[in-house]
Amino acid sequence: MAIDMQPESDRQPGREPGGREPDAPPPPARPWWRRPAVHTALAGAVIGYLLGHLLGNVIAGQYSQVVNSGQNDYAIVLGYVLGTLGWLAGLGVFSDLLRQMTGRPVHATEEARDASAGLARYFRYSLDHKVVGLQYLVGMIGFFLTGGLLAMAIRTELLSPSYHVFSSATYTAIVGEHGTMMMMMMSSLILGPLGNYLLPLMIGSKRMAFPRIEALSFWLTPAAYIVLLSGLMFGGFPFGWTGYAPLSVQATQGADAYAVAFGIMGISLILLGFNIIVTVICYRAPGMHWGRLPIFVWAMLTTSFLMVLAAPVLVGAMYMLITDRTVQTAFFTDDLGGSSYLWENLFWFFGHPEVYILALPGFGVVSEILPVFCRKPLFGYKVAAAGMVGVTLLSFFVWQHHLFDSGINPDMRPVFMLTTELISIPTGFIFLVAMGTFWKAKIRFTVPMLFALGFYFNFLIGGISGVYLSDVPADTTEHGTFFVMAHFHYTIMGGLIFAFMAGLYYWLPKMMGIRLNQTLGKIHFWTMFVFFNATFLPLFAVGMAGQPRRVYTYARSLETLNDWVSISSFLLGVSILIFVFNFVYSTVIARVHEEGNPWNSRGLEWQVSSPPPPGNFARVPVVLSGPYEYGVKDAPPVADLDPPLGVISNAYAAAAAEGAEV
Amino acid sequence: MSLAARVTTLIVAVLAVVGGVIFVVAHYLLGGPPTVDFAAATSGQVNVTMQTDASSDPATVPDHPTWVSYFIKSPASGSWVHTTLFQVPAHTRVNVTILGYDGSTPVRNQVWGQVSGTTGGVADYGGKPVKTVNGWNGPYLIQHTFAIPSLNLSVPVEAGPATCTTGPCTNNQHSTTTFSFMTPAQPGAYRWQCFVPCGLSYLDGNGGPMQTFGYMTGNMQVVS
Ligand code: HEM
Ligand SMILES: [Cu+2]
Ligand SMILES: [Cu+2]
Repeated sequence: MAIDMQPESDRQPGREPGGREPDAPPPPARPWWRRPAVHTALAGAVIGYLLGHLLGNVIAGQYSQVVNSGQNDYAIVLGYVLGTLGWLAGLGVFSDLLRQMTGRPVHATEEARDASAGLARYFRYSLDHKVVGLQYLVGMIGFFLTGGLLAMAIRTELLSPSYHVFSSATYTAIVGEHGTMMMMMMSSLILGPLGNYLLPLMIGSKRMAFPRIEALSFWLTPAAYIVLLSGLMFGGFPFGWTGYAPLSVQATQGADAYAVAFGIMGISLILLGFNIIVTVICYRAPGMHWGRLPIFVWAMLTTSFLMVLAAPVLVGAMYMLITDRTVQTAFFTDDLGGSSYLWENLFWFFGHPEVYILALPGFGVVSEILPVFCRKPLFGYKVAAAGMVGVTLLSFFVWQHHLFDSGINPDMRPVFMLTTELISIPTGFIFLVAMGTFWKAKIRFTVPMLFALGFYFNFLIGGISGVYLSDVPADTTEHGTFFVMAHFHYTIMGGLIFAFMAGLYYWLPKMMGIRLNQTLGKIHFWTMFVFFNATFLPLFAVGMAGQPRRVYTYARSLETLNDWVSISSFLLGVSILIFVFNFVYSTVIARVHEEGNPWNSRGLEWQVSSPPPPGNFARVPVVLSGPYEYGVKDAPPVADLDPPLGVISNAYAAAAAEGAEV
Repeated sequence: MSLAARVTTLIVAVLAVVGGVIFVVAHYLLGGPPTVDFAAATSGQVNVTMQTDASSDPATVPDHPTWVSYFIKSPASGSWVHTTLFQVPAHTRVNVTILGYDGSTPVRNQVWGQVSGTTGGVADYGGKPVKTVNGWNGPYLIQHTFAIPSLNLSVPVEAGPATCTTGPCTNNQHSTTTFSFMTPAQPGAYRWQCFVPCGLSYLDGNGGPMQTFGYMTGNMQVVS
């Protein structure tokens, strides 16, 4: 088993990878500006983009997918791809690998120095899971705010059906950027911050299984972000986040940004999920058997399986779209023997599991928080875990419910209606578990708990409206309207984002050793809860009245409702600003330190100091009991953090001997 | 870091982000085409002159010189402005003259061959009043339409000989379509648009210029 049994200092010195003898003098450290970090990465990206652009123009000269647009798609796609590689190369992603392949020593001294180099390490290709977790956290908040600004632009345009701030084309470009930014950049990342940071701490490991993959999965996201935003400079993409063919094949160069950025994010998700799966399976501390795994870790594990199995289909589809748009393959062109349904099926084969990639972590976070603030064991722990596994399996068999109205074989509709309605059963488990935990509990209404309760309220509305959408006759009237829009904002924004906020208020003291201001937190919660519902509840009615998605104008009679929604969405924006203010104020200016276990939690992650020391645990802990035994008489402590030397290896030795006898 | 250093860093970072956002928004707002003002109405009437072109001079229209486009003649300077935004007084008669330099693209739906919403329900083609145009067989052919859906105004624009392809054109080889309509009493932005799918090589001809201010769609701003 690949865990470090001994503290680092007890290790025998040996040959370092790269062939340097242990007593050889360390190579001299280079000055900071010659060592890879964000500035060299930016330089690499610019050089890569220019090279790719040049190459594209050499290969394909004046060719362009849309004749009148005057731009060469080859040059743009190659620019993005080489630019991304240049960004990674500039960061030093490949340096150590190349050095080891050519037998030269790695810059171990520099790495050691950079590892403890204050703020600067957050701008480097750091292999520390706690650094990567915080990088992800800041990145995710940044992507969320960008998407949020675009949402404000959407609602500004919808203030009036006749006065226009944007042209219809600009409006669809903004909607597409908003949707894609929120789905692929922001919410899919949720396991980036919470997973990378907390997983090793929750299962008693010193690190993630593959530190290089973990860092790479993060550093792909800023590249994807810039590529995606650059699409606006080419007029954006007119087809929303779903990229339906043939629109996506025929659109102008903004579509290249969509395809490349989504492809990069697909790769990042695969790497993220793969790393989490291996870490959960192989890096659990002794005693952390499957029945003691925190429920949030179950959520991470199932989500990661979804990412690893669904995202490759997405990456493949994006690759096909890119070749359709450049070298004129015709995967999605009906006239030339392809099929636009192929895209629709590939996209949603990824896309439906994707919505559970957003839902399961939310379930996990709130289920993890409930017992702490109810001071009771989690009701039906096994049912919750089974529900998550059930959702994971079923979510691969429902994707065609997005195509009910597209002209698919009508015989497919009842099948997918059935599987979709089936999936509400394991989803219902999650609510069952919550109700059981609330039963006769003395609830502490802290900020994280408020957000968790908000989650259950919002997700209930989102989930119930989903049952209507899964019903073919009902969906026929609801499809493509603001009803759908309200439904998925209830599940994603009302669900995942509320859960994310709960997790942030709950775990930030752990991650930064700093407590967010609780009064501002309560103001944030109540404004967000009220204005979220005021914004999205009326949209169900607006949708039933027939207002279509992705259209910049609407019937005059719907103006009052739309104005209500827009004004309330601006207030929702103010609420998010209160959060940003709180986050920045608490972490930068006030810095109220919180070292112990403020919530009195039994989670293993709370048994070490905050923020956790390098390496998390001095010795690998031995887990003695489950994480939710609140109020259970004679419950043993969660773990022995300082097991006597040799205990673990002896246990394994005995097991190995037994195994040998059989 | 000391508190002062942290606060300073924070202020610099916030200013950088806010500055970036202001730059982008200002760039967008200032980047749009200008509005030609016809507000100074004499004798209760306004004369608006426009032209249509198959493509434009890259020096005048650097963004999309290959797109079909409208131009509007500025009443102040007499020069052609690359825009589709214009401003007129409320409850006023507007006399429109459209010089057609583009060739013929037949309407896809013959409904758009009908003239509606104009004074007298007609448009004049080279001086001859016409109620309905058969855009496929003539005698008059159609290149674009000028339509304000909320006023029920729709006029097919006669095709020209298409001898000049770098708008704005100034020669005499063009068709001339004229019509008049009354602006509404209520001030506001009234959207207008061409309904002939002339976005060459876009999906169904409806992308690109058909959706972009300055080309085949724009606003008529009515002020009281
Ligand atoms: C500040 C809160 C938000 C507001 C006010 C908002 C508003 C909107 C509106 C009005 C639309 C529909 C535009 C149209 O179809 O014409 C939309 C689309 C969308 N939003 Fe949001 N949104 C918010 C947050 C989010 C979040 C947090 C997510 C996901 C995590 C999200 C994901 C999407 C998606 C996927 C679309 C569909 C885009 C498409 O049609 O391709 N939104 N949003
Ligand atoms: Cu689905
Ligand atoms: Cu036209």
